[in-house]
Amino acid sequence: MNNIEEILWNYIDGNCTPDEQKAIGALIEQDEAYRAKYAELLLLNKEFSAIELDEPPMAFTYNVMEGIRAEQASVPLKATVNKRIIWGIAIFFVVTISVMLVFAFASMKWSAPGVNVNLPVHLNLRMPSVSSSTTKMIIEGFVFFDAILALYLLDAYLRKKIAAKHV
Amino acid sequence: MQSKLSDIELIEHTLAGNQAAYADLVKRHQRFVFTLALRFTRVREDAEEVAQDCFTKAYRSLASFQGQAKFTTWLYSIVYTTSMTFLRKKRVVTDSLDDENAYIQAESQASVYDVNTAENKSRSFYLNQAIEQLLPDDAAIITMFYKGEQSLEEIAVAMNMETNTVKVKLFRARQRLKEKLERNLKHEAKELI
Repeated sequence: MNNIEEILWNYIDGNCTPDEQKAIGALIEQDEAYRAKYAELLLLNKEFSAIELDEPPMAFTYNVMEGIRAEQASVPLKATVNKRIIWGIAIFFVVTISVMLVFAFASMKWSAPGVNVNLPVHLNLRMPSVSSSTTKMIIEGFVFFDAILALYLLDAYLRKKIAAKHV
Repeated sequence: MQSKLSDIELIEHTLAGNQAAYADLVKRHQRFVFTLALRFTRVREDAEEVAQDCFTKAYRSLASFQGQAKFTTWLYSIVYTTSMTFLRKKRVVTDSLDDENAYIQAESQASVYDVNTAENKSRSFYLNQAIEQLLPDDAAIITMFYKGEQSLEEIAVAMNMETNTVKVKLFRARQRLKEKLERNLKHEAKELI
């Protein structure tokens, strides 16, 4: 400890060991310089405790809560979409592509003039005939749906690009 | 009217989805957070921005509050780091916060202060005026110690400093505050102290 003031501030703040506290208490009682300084610092301490806090604007709480609400509302859509939906879509496409691949390989004629292809596994799947009118309608519907979906995605992509140009 | 629930209870309600509980928490601590922000920024508009930012950050990280320290200590550490970031961005403080030359202007303004008006002003006015002339760190430590009900250890946590450093800084801040108060009050200082 360097000087009387530092010693006395520690005493006032209660940052001394019990022994130090006792010794300083005795010094204040016996030493006039210590006693006068102690009285002065006690008064200062009282004054410092009376510091007034500044008042924020009236709408402070409202502004904070509005800010929080706005932040929550501005969470991008992709962050709020349920992940199970995304997994569901992915599984649907994987299954569809797999079925189409199996269908394509099964209906393929594995022979060519002058070439003899011997497959290690003999595929003997009985696939529905494409020539039948019902299956043809389903495939046409599927292609039509894909075309619409592709156009929709292209439209969304172009809109995004235009919007980005304007920002 | 402020809630009678404790800070921890209000936090639990907030985490359960009750936003009104957080509004109560803001109401309870807004004066101190705003004052602390003002100690650093010195401009009311900036202090308001920083204080709002602090409460928004606290809301976002509320789930990570462990409850090992006081909520206020945790909140004040957010105020301190947010204020520092704000000051860095605004380039108000360049090399060091301890560069007292930056505040010579504020001091000189105080020194030409009219003695006659002193009689009409309250004691707290002079005290707050003296605090405004302190370095931001000193003013923040004084405010946290006397008005934030924070111990030296808690201030050290909030300001990311050693407890001994805070102890020394508090001692120096008190000395500087006393000097500035005396300078501002001139003859009235004797009456006040």
